[in-house]
Formats: sequence, structure tokens, C-alpha cells
Amino acid sequence: MLFRDAFKTSTRALAHGKMRSLLTMLGIVIGIASVIIVMSLGASAEYYIVGQVQSFGSDLISINPGVPVAGGAPAQAAGVVIKTLVKQDVNSISKEPSVKLVSANVTGQATIIYGNKSKSVLWSATDPSMFKMINLSFQSGHPFTDADLNSYNKVIILGSQLAKDLFGNVSPLGKYVRLKDFNFLVTGVLDPKGAGIFSFDNYAVIPLTVGQKQILGVDYYQEVDVKSDPAYTTGFVKERIISVLRQNHHITDPAKDDFTVQSMEDALKTLGNITSILTLFLSAIAAISLIVGGIGIMNIMLVSVTERTKEIGLRKAVGATDRDILKQFLIESVLLTFTGGIIGIAIGAAVVGLAYFALTRFFSIAWVFAFPPGAVGLALFVSAGAGIAFGIYPARKAGKKNPIDALRYE
Amino acid sequence: MIDVRDLKKEYIEDGTSTEALRGVTFSIGKGEFVSIMGPSGSGKSTLLHILSFLDRPTGGSYKFQGKGIDEMNDKELAYARNKEMGFVFQSFNLLARLSVYDNVEIPLLYSDTPPAKRKELVESAVKSVGLEEKLHTEAGKLSGGQKQRVAIARALVTEPDVIFADEPTGNLDSQSGLQVMEILDSLHQKGHTVILVTHETQTAEFADRIIRIKDGTVESDQSIDSRRRINGDLK
Repeated sequence: MLFRDAFKTSTRALAHGKMRSLLTMLGIVIGIASVIIVMSLGASAEYYIVGQVQSFGSDLISINPGVPVAGGAPAQAAGVVIKTLVKQDVNSISKEPSVKLVSANVTGQATIIYGNKSKSVLWSATDPSMFKMINLSFQSGHPFTDADLNSYNKVIILGSQLAKDLFGNVSPLGKYVRLKDFNFLVTGVLDPKGAGIFSFDNYAVIPLTVGQKQILGVDYYQEVDVKSDPAYTTGFVKERIISVLRQNHHITDPAKDDFTVQSMEDALKTLGNITSILTLFLSAIAAISLIVGGIGIMNIMLVSVTERTKEIGLRKAVGATDRDILKQFLIESVLLTFTGGIIGIAIGAAVVGLAYFALTRFFSIAWVFAFPPGAVGLALFVSAGAGIAFGIYPARKAGKKNPIDALRYE
Repeated sequence: MIDVRDLKKEYIEDGTSTEALRGVTFSIGKGEFVSIMGPSGSGKSTLLHILSFLDRPTGGSYKFQGKGIDEMNDKELAYARNKEMGFVFQSFNLLARLSVYDNVEIPLLYSDTPPAKRKELVESAVKSVGLEEKLHTEAGKLSGGQKQRVAIARALVTEPDVIFADEPTGNLDSQSGLQVMEILDSLHQKGHTVILVTHETQTAEFADRIIRIKDGTVESDQSIDSRRRINGDLK
């Protein structure tokens, strides 16, 4: 039997029970739509986060004390206090010709109070070069200066959202806020910057000396950030920093490093891995509905084979081989799943498009519309594959029917 | 064309053996019109199913066009059913939702006949049973007699050597039955071999020869005086 004829025969059989065909393919439609939505939104989220991270500059290198503990979490995140990163390190790194800017910081969490409003915030104590380094711009006011650091001036820069939460539409400049028992004069408000964990919008930034010496009372840093000279690759600069720190810390065995140097490229790679794993995990959950849909198809195909036993008998009586019958039923099941796949892709695309519209229009998020061709290809492949996988058993059963038994079936 | 020697068919169900055919022997030559008669349960339908390659015997030998059924695999049997045999069933076995055209076309789908040639063959077959005006009517909407004529058109569309008919008038009124038998008779006149299973004497006597089966064996094998037919005594 020619493929074209088998295709036509199968399409007719499916068209005969339109409602049944539609209901049968519903499981596949939901499964494929879910996979498409998860993969597309995952890709969009990745583009969005990568874009936000890159806005800080891809030539940034961050140095943290300690090495990641087992399992990959940074030492500090795991609650380990490490005091190895000190002023001497910052001075040595600053002298490296491949380094353009160096900025040290300490951070903490505290309640910030203005009038009767208060909010729990993350504060960062740093030096003025940080503003240049990560391209922080100001809505109003100005950054603090080295003089503020040297004089331990209690000045504070607020993130855009934090300023809004505390002051509403009133300008915060020249007003005092209370943080960790100190009154800080607001000298600047940042433009919105970053997203998620990289967002500065809820941050309060104070002079490094105030945060380090007066609030925390320590003489080490929690992080040192470096902007490399464009004439050098970040890989080279990273190696130079490692070399300088090993020398300062008298380390000869790299396995005993008491610091971690990570470039923005490394961070992006890690982020990419996390998003991919998350997307894969969510897709796997979504794929469960594909299996459920596939079993539904198999069930209906088995019913169809039984219902059409006489037809199978007739076709065999007039010359159809086992293979012809198998082909006809297999095409039917693949047609069901493949059509379901196409409908699922269309629904998935519509949902992703709606999400894009809502996020950009109503939430003013610079969302990226991503509809990975790989996801579409995968969806089509999986849906056709499901048709074969779940259709082969009923189709084989149909093909193996003895013509005379099939003709006698009532 | 058909040579059957000591043909046996035994069914085993739930450990109980039933002999449907117990050593049937006969030959049928090309162009013959043969009726196989017998009471219910005599084994006549079993015999027809074996002769038409729908079933295999459990003993004896059956040669069709000189080739033994035992030497042929399922694919070869399917090929022979498609190219060399046509079937007419008592219950028509039409696909009710398909048109007359589509029903008649079914055997051609399995013979890889090009579409243009298929159209020509289908139209010609439908015309030969006088249903050309019903070509695009749904088979389910036809009368019993018309359905059987469609079934005959389907049987002869591949231009087979032999047409097997299993109680073709069993579900029809006498007028429709007569029409069907006249068509089968005309096919025989055109050179087709026609093998008919029936329990009705009147129907059986359209043939040149009647093989009577009883209890799974050949009870009698008689030629019919052609003059009776010519005189119209049997019609």
C-alpha cells in the first residue's frame, strides 16, 4: 500500500470520529504545550538574567575569602567567617598593570528607618570606585567620595525601590535615615539596576570605613571586586590576581587557596547551568503529562482496533498484508500525537506571547521573547515518537489479526 | 486451477477437537461455475475459506494455480487474494461510512495500482453491476441488493481469475438475490471462475456443477445439464 493511500485512509478514519480524536489528543496537547512553555520561559529568564548581569560589565572579577565548601556553596554563604581578605591584598592588586579598578566591600542586613517607616534592607559598605566599576548611575544626588571614607562620614545612597518605599514621591536628598544606630544623610538615589539577586534597587550603600570599622568592627573584607583593563583578557587578569593573593597569603599549594576568584564569565556560566538544570527539571515534570497522554492514545487505539476488527478482516481478505494494517494504525496514532503536538506548540507559543505581553506591558520588565527552535523541534519529535511508541502495540495487534477470525467478529 | 486432495480442517477449542473437513478431494478447472452446497455445519464455509486463502487446512493438500498453500507464506497468500481472487460475503462487508467508489477501490489500494488507473477500474467495475449513478453515495445508505452489487464490483475490480461468493443471496430478498446471481452468472460467461457457497438449491443451480458437502466430506459432485439452464428451468 502506498504511503499516500495509507495516510488518506488513516485521516479518514480519524475524521470519522472527530470528537474522539480531539479528546484523545488532549493529553498530548497539554504535555507539549507545558514543555514548550517551560522551555521558552526558561530561555527567556536566562536571557533576561544574563542581560542584567552583563549590564554590570562582563570584565568584572570578584574575589571572595575562602573556597566553596563541599557541594559548591560559597564559604561565606555556608556561614563560615573568613578573615583572609585584607587591605594589603587590595593594595597589591591595585598595583597590577592589568587591573583598572579595585573596590572592596562588606555587607550586612539591617532595618532602615525613616520617620515611622522602616524596612529590612541589605546594606553594602564600599568605596567610590564601585559606582564606576558596575556602571551605577544616579536618579538624583551623587556618589560619596574618598573624603567621606577618610572622615567616616555617615552618608548613604539608596536604591531606587528603597527610596520609593521610604520616601514615596518626596525627594530623599538631604534627609536622614537611621541604620544600625547611626543617622545617615541621604546624598544620592540610584537609577533602577539589575534584577533578582543582582538587583541594587533595594540596597543601601554606605562608605566602606563606616560599615567595616564602625558597624561591623572588623578589618577584613567580605568581597573585593576588580575591573580588568580592556587591554588584557579577564582570564589573564584572573591568573594575575590568583598569583598576587597566593604570594600575599604565602600559599604554595593551589589546593590550599584561601580565596576564590571568579569572573563574570564564570558566574554567567554557572547561572546558565542552573537555569538549564531548572528548565530540564520542570520540562521533565511537564513531560509526565505526555506519558499520560500517550497511554490515553494507546487505550483509544486498542478500542479502535477492537471496534474495527471486521474492517481489518475485510482489508486482509482483499489483499492487505500484516504490514499494511500495521502501517494504517500506526499512521493514525502518529497523526493523533503529531497533530496534538502542533496544537500544543501553538498553545505554548500563545501563552509565552501573552506572558511576554503582560510582563513588558503591565510590569515594565525588560523581558525577552524566546521561543527556542530546539524546543519546537523536540516537541514535534517527541509527539511523533509518542505516536510510534504508544501506537505500535495496538497497530501490531491489528496487523496480526487472522482474516477469517476478524471477519467473523461480532 | 484448484486441486484439493484429502483436505482436512480440525479446530481445537478448550481441548476439544472438532473436525470441520474430513478429507475433501476435488478439482475445479478455469472458467467453471461451481456451487458448494450443504446444510449448516457441513463444512462448506470452512472449505470456501481455505479455497480463498482466508484460512489454512490442517491436513491434505490444496494447490491453487499449481502452487500448494503450504509453500506460501502469509504475504504470498495476501498477494494471491488481492490479484487472483475476489470475495463476495453474505453480510456484504462494506465500510458503511465510505462511498461506493471508495469501497470498490479498497482492493486496488493494496495492489499499488496508480490512481488514474484505479479510477478507470473502479468506474468500470461499478458500471458492470449497474450502480454508476450511486458511485459517490455512502455505502451505508444503499439497499441490501445494491450493497451486494457493490461487493461484487469490489470483488471483480482487480480482475481476478476466481470469484468466491459465500451465501451471496443469504441476506437479500428474492428479486435482489436474482439480480446478484445474474451478475455472477454474467461474470462466469465472461470467463471468470465462480465458486459459490449456498444452502439454497435454486441459487446453487445457477452453477455448472454442484459439490455437496455433508459432515465434512464430499457427498456428491454433479454437473448440471446445461440445457436446463438454457431453457431457464432453474430461474
